[in-house]
Amino acid sequence: MSLLVLTMGLFSLGLYGVLTRRDLVAVLASIEVMLGAATLLLVGLAAAGTPAGPSEGAVEATGVMIIVLAAAEAAIGLALVISVAKRFKTTRVDDLAEVKG
Amino acid sequence: MEQLLSYGWTTVALPLAVAVVVALTGRLTGRLTPYVAAVAPAWVLLYGAVALSSAIDAPGVLASGRTTWLAEAGLSVGWAVDGLTALMLVVVGLVAMLVMVFSAGYMAGESGLARYFAALSLFTASMSLLVVADGFVGLFIGWELVGVCSYLLIGFWFTKPAAAKAAVKAFLTTRVGDVGMLLALALLWREVGDLSYEAVFAAAGGIAPGVLTAASLLLLVGAIGKSAQFPLQIWLPDAMEGPTPVSALIHAATMVAAGVFLIARTWPLFSLSADALAVTLAIGGFTAVAAAAAAIAQRDIKKVLAYSTISQLGFMFAALGAGAWEAAVFHLVTHAAFKALLFLASGSVIHGSGTQDLYEMGGLMRSMPVTGVTWLLGAGALAGVAPLAGFFSKDEVLHAAWSADPAWAVVLFVASAFTAFYTARTTRLAFFGEYRGSGHPHEGGLDMRAPLLVLGAGAALLGFFGGPIAELAGGHHGELDLTVAAVSSVIALVGLAAGWVSARGATAPRDEAPYARALEWGAAGWKADAAVDSLLVRPVNALSRVLDARVDRGVVDRLAEGSAVLARRLGSGLAALQSGDAQWYAIMTGAGAVALLALVAYLGRGL
Amino acid sequence: MTVASLIFILLGAVATIGAVMTVFARDVTRMAIGLGTFLVAVAGFFVYWGATFLGVAQLFVYVGGVLVLVLFAIMLVHRNPEGSPHLETRHDVSALAVAGGLFIMVVMALRDDVPASVDQGISSGPQELAEAFLGPMLTHFEIGGVLLLAVLVAVVVIVGGEER
Repeated sequence: MSLLVLTMGLFSLGLYGVLTRRDLVAVLASIEVMLGAATLLLVGLAAAGTPAGPSEGAVEATGVMIIVLAAAEAAIGLALVISVAKRFKTTRVDDLAEVKG
Repeated sequence: MEQLLSYGWTTVALPLAVAVVVALTGRLTGRLTPYVAAVAPAWVLLYGAVALSSAIDAPGVLASGRTTWLAEAGLSVGWAVDGLTALMLVVVGLVAMLVMVFSAGYMAGESGLARYFAALSLFTASMSLLVVADGFVGLFIGWELVGVCSYLLIGFWFTKPAAAKAAVKAFLTTRVGDVGMLLALALLWREVGDLSYEAVFAAAGGIAPGVLTAASLLLLVGAIGKSAQFPLQIWLPDAMEGPTPVSALIHAATMVAAGVFLIARTWPLFSLSADALAVTLAIGGFTAVAAAAAAIAQRDIKKVLAYSTISQLGFMFAALGAGAWEAAVFHLVTHAAFKALLFLASGSVIHGSGTQDLYEMGGLMRSMPVTGVTWLLGAGALAGVAPLAGFFSKDEVLHAAWSADPAWAVVLFVASAFTAFYTARTTRLAFFGEYRGSGHPHEGGLDMRAPLLVLGAGAALLGFFGGPIAELAGGHHGELDLTVAAVSSVIALVGLAAGWVSARGATAPRDEAPYARALEWGAAGWKADAAVDSLLVRPVNALSRVLDARVDRGVVDRLAEGSAVLARRLGSGLAALQSGDAQWYAIMTGAGAVALLALVAYLGRGL
Repeated sequence: MTVASLIFILLGAVATIGAVMTVFARDVTRMAIGLGTFLVAVAGFFVYWGATFLGVAQLFVYVGGVLVLVLFAIMLVHRNPEGSPHLETRHDVSALAVAGGLFIMVVMALRDDVPASVDQGISSGPQELAEAFLGPMLTHFEIGGVLLLAVLVAVVVIVGGEER
């Protein structure tokens, strides 16, 4: 139970950040928080010995896959942020919301 | 000849067809138009005469026919000819034909004659429908149609504001009566289920007294409207704005008589309600005397005749109320003859002398002898001078009234006195003495004189046909009551003398004269119009102003505008959702997801 | 209080502090530090639970890779002569409601399925990992490789392409 609360709390924190932060990079950072929290829950459940689950090796492998995905996403995301910053000279979400085309 | 009778529906169809033809070709036929149109009433007259001759021997329905339209609902339309119908057809046909011939001379040179004669033909068709109908549905259709024709013809010179207003006034006032009639029909339909005369009269005995009285009174309301009785009499004097031949046909002989016809026709029903009869007697009596008094004060010759008509119709209503419907029908027939005659003669006077004001006439007997003599015949009949027609029919009415309710009989005697008074006064002012006008009075052409002569004969001789007329109507004929005859003759002579004397000065009464105020009131029809104005017109106008401001602008417009405002606000509110802000979209998505989760949880495991 | 729960609380606290700093810090540098703290705490959890390889991978890739990436991005993007730029948060009741709502919903959905204590840990090492990757998760493994390749190319295209 405490695992659940902790993990979901971290996840919700990250979610709040994604929804609320005014700078693109900050949003990306919050996404990383969400991913981390989710992975934590996954592995934690396995560690808690939840029955009828996948083998422990599979759990760890899944965790590795999540990390791979997170890395890929961060790379692309940050590449996009740099590209946007070069083009529109700002990474402020409010300013970018007005952008057309 | 008898074979002819089975074509009763042609009395309606032919005039209708003629109306259409005249409307379309009137421009082309020019001076022949009146004679083309006259075919319609001529046919009605012919048919009526044939029916009349058959009906004298055989009482009851001579011929009939019925359509199946709405038959299951009890609303079928059909026709049936009996003695009463035949009588009415003859009256309508003859007077309409004479009026059309007269109009050929009177209306010569007017524009819009195609419209005029088409409307007259349509009127003939409508009046035929009204009298040949075998049930209330046909009657009502004809009833409404004659109202329409009256509107069209009163407002013939529609560019004249007074005429247009008079037409509307006539239509609306009779409409008020028609509402009552419609309610009566609804009531009867609910009670009996079938609106044919056969069915209703057969069931009349079984209808509850209250319902019966209500239906009868409502029918009376309709009759009051059409026959210009109190309190719906205000339209008839104004209707004089129409051409005089129209006044002769519609507002003297036929349409206004439809009210009397209605009650006569529905007698098997109407007579069962003593209350309705009492009301009819009261209204007839009151109207007779009040209108006759007003007639005394008029200076327009047509207005005199208009009030006279209202008064004479009052006599007929009184006769009905007294239970003597045969007397009412008899007087209807004689009145049709002499009143049409008087109107046409006045038309001749107007045409010849160029004025309607009695104080600008005088000595017309010398310049228009034919008109003058025939006028005398009509006037005598109106005043009840023996042996002219009016004497006999009025005698019967007075006799019936005396038997029913002496008090009202006295009222009618007073009305007779007034009648004689205004008749003599008008006659002297117009036809005798020195000519006071500025024109060159002359007689009209043959087309104007011939009808006068025909009607003059009728006014003189019809009185002797009281017996056959009563039998045709389906009732019995009372013998001449010598007491009543004597009294009424004395009253007539006194009234005539008084009226004659009053016209001696041949000038309008001075303003300071003691009776000037009364005259002024009488001239205005006892201020009936003013009463209607303050009782009805002003409050309705005020109410509509209030409603306009408060309801129409305040509520309805606000609602309409409000919905526009609401739509706008809703729109701009919703537009805020489309802000282009990705995080806001994400919030919305998240909210949706949470809501779905909650829903699933609630429906599923019950958290 | 057992040692296990103490460690749990400790690591949890560190992770939380790191997350809070990431989400709420006004200063970019603080945010970066917070993110780093969080990621290290997560790695600590993995190791504590016995998923050693995972913990190490977390440190290498996340902290050493992703975090560094973020720092580089910050440096490239936020060229502000007045020092570290100001990060704002638009606090929003609806966002709070959504985040809070999600928290509540998931916790309530899963609370019966989560065992009380997290003491057992897993015993997994490279051996088991290899058996998984080359066994049931072979597809994942291969696709992961392709994905990384694609990302490599994409990044070059996105960032470098315009300068030609």
